Amino acid sequence: MNTRKLANNGARARALLGTCVVLALLIKPVQDRVEARLGQQSIVADQLYFGSPAAVKKMSLGYECLLADVYWMRTIQYYGRRGEAAKRPVRYKNLGTLLDITTTLDPDLLDAYRAGSSFLAEADPIGAGQPREAIKLLDKGISRHPLQWRLWFDKGFIYFWFLKDFKSAGEAWLAASRLSTAPPWMEGLAAMGLSRSGAVETAKTLWQHQYQESNRADVMENARNHLLSIQVAEDLWTLEFFLNKYRERTGSFPQRLDDLVRAGFLRYIPRDPLGTPYRYDPKIGKIRLDPQTKVRRLDVPEAYREAYLGRIARLYQ
Amino acid sequence: MTILTIARNTFRENIRDKILYNLILFALIMILSSVALGQLTLGHEEKVIVDIGLSAISIFGTLIAIFIGISLVYKELEKRTVYALLAKPVHRHEFILGKYLGLLCTLLVNVVIMAIGLILTLMYHGGVGFPGYLRLIPAVYLSFLSLALTTALALVFSTFSTPALSALFTFFLWVIGHFNGDLLEFGRLMKSVPLQWLFRVLYYVLPNLSNFTTIDSRNVIESAAYRQPIDPIAVLWVTVYGLLYCGILLVLSIAVFSRRDFK
Repeated sequence: MNTRKLANNGARARALLGTCVVLALLIKPVQDRVEARLGQQSIVADQLYFGSPAAVKKMSLGYECLLADVYWMRTIQYYGRRGEAAKRPVRYKNLGTLLDITTTLDPDLLDAYRAGSSFLAEADPIGAGQPREAIKLLDKGISRHPLQWRLWFDKGFIYFWFLKDFKSAGEAWLAASRLSTAPPWMEGLAAMGLSRSGAVETAKTLWQHQYQESNRADVMENARNHLLSIQVAEDLWTLEFFLNKYRERTGSFPQRLDDLVRAGFLRYIPRDPLGTPYRYDPKIGKIRLDPQTKVRRLDVPEAYREAYLGRIARLYQ
Repeated sequence: MTILTIARNTFRENIRDKILYNLILFALIMILSSVALGQLTLGHEEKVIVDIGLSAISIFGTLIAIFIGISLVYKELEKRTVYALLAKPVHRHEFILGKYLGLLCTLLVNVVIMAIGLILTLMYHGGVGFPGYLRLIPAVYLSFLSLALTTALALVFSTFSTPALSALFTFFLWVIGHFNGDLLEFGRLMKSVPLQWLFRVLYYVLPNLSNFTTIDSRNVIESAAYRQPIDPIAVLWVTVYGLLYCGILLVLSIAVFSRRDFK
């Protein structure tokens, strides 16, 4: 009797487990519906529960390094999730605080100073557009690691590119060049920064060094994008310069860019750095990047345009 | 009918439990203390009160759900009262469902008392009109749904494990459940495809408790700075999700309990 009862119980249990599996299959579509509805909410709350680095350090109960790693990973996610950042009222409002907490918990986390200053300094939408905060972060790193030439290099770089303060940039690089660990080219860079402030060559050299010196993929990618953008800007300025010369000579813009080669202005028509031809509008004589190109174009300071066009004009004469 | 009798007895038993009263008292003290904390902020005092109040309802409700839920079945087994009960014409599924409903009623009473406490605190403070009190209802309702799910989780573990382990398992799942969205995001960041799939599967299999915290002070207060209207369709789908998940857990509890040999 008991055996039969147990067998019945077993069969019932199997039937119930089968029901469980069937019901579990419905979880995914329902959760997807919930996600779809909640994903429509336009604003993502951007809250930091603890904003004071000193308070967080006290609360870490001796696990500062572990908590620094957690905060550093959180900073990377906070910066790297572009979709989420776009939904915040201010894209990267708490970035500076997160970096401050991370570097207070572990003042030897050099990546946090270097990559963090880059995240802070870059203009919106790539970064927080807070170059002054980036300088503060690097100063904090320099006070702890005065012999790290890369921190001085980054500081000069932010002064040069984002703040257009060429004198301060030159001074930072000069300070870096005096360190025994600094590479030999640092002295030349300092001289170039102090004497030829604002030149495109200096900017290119800087991005080139940034690209070669960094061991972080995102920093390298950013430097590469800036180098490609300068190349694109130079191509477009060159083409526009000769289009205007063509118009001065013939009274109208050429129908095709190849006409510039036929007229003897250029030896060949440049393509963008990744090989896609530029788009040309003969009615208004304007050149632009092809929308299909893989070049991610970033802003190039307008001051470089004048310097570059002046150089082409001199060569043309 | 048997289910309701068991539920009524479980409810009575829970109400007699002194720990339960302590938790309610503590929750009410917490809500009232929010008035003092609200004074420490610069503006948005009512937001602080709603935040503390809703969190207190959720946290103390969860404590009740876990600590009473884990002993629902175990206590009957330990006291051997389950033998006397199952010797009568009571099916095992009736026993499980009755126990679950009994605890759910206890939680409902608790949640309602705590919500009334919160509304009274807000009325005392002022600044939130009648529509604000009405908007508290869906927030408290979702909180109750999450408690129903937590109770069902505790019940599953209580059918085959000891109270200490059940509490640990339920608490861990409750914590993971609140970070479920991060689990999915974490999977997306993985370069390995099998790991991406693993995190995706975990995302759907583990209870997503963050679904139930979608209504917060920003939806309740709806001031110029915190205007986020409540989405009724989202509430509906969260309800479907909650009921479905509770259903699965209850069927699982019954299945496990049916296989137990009480000889």
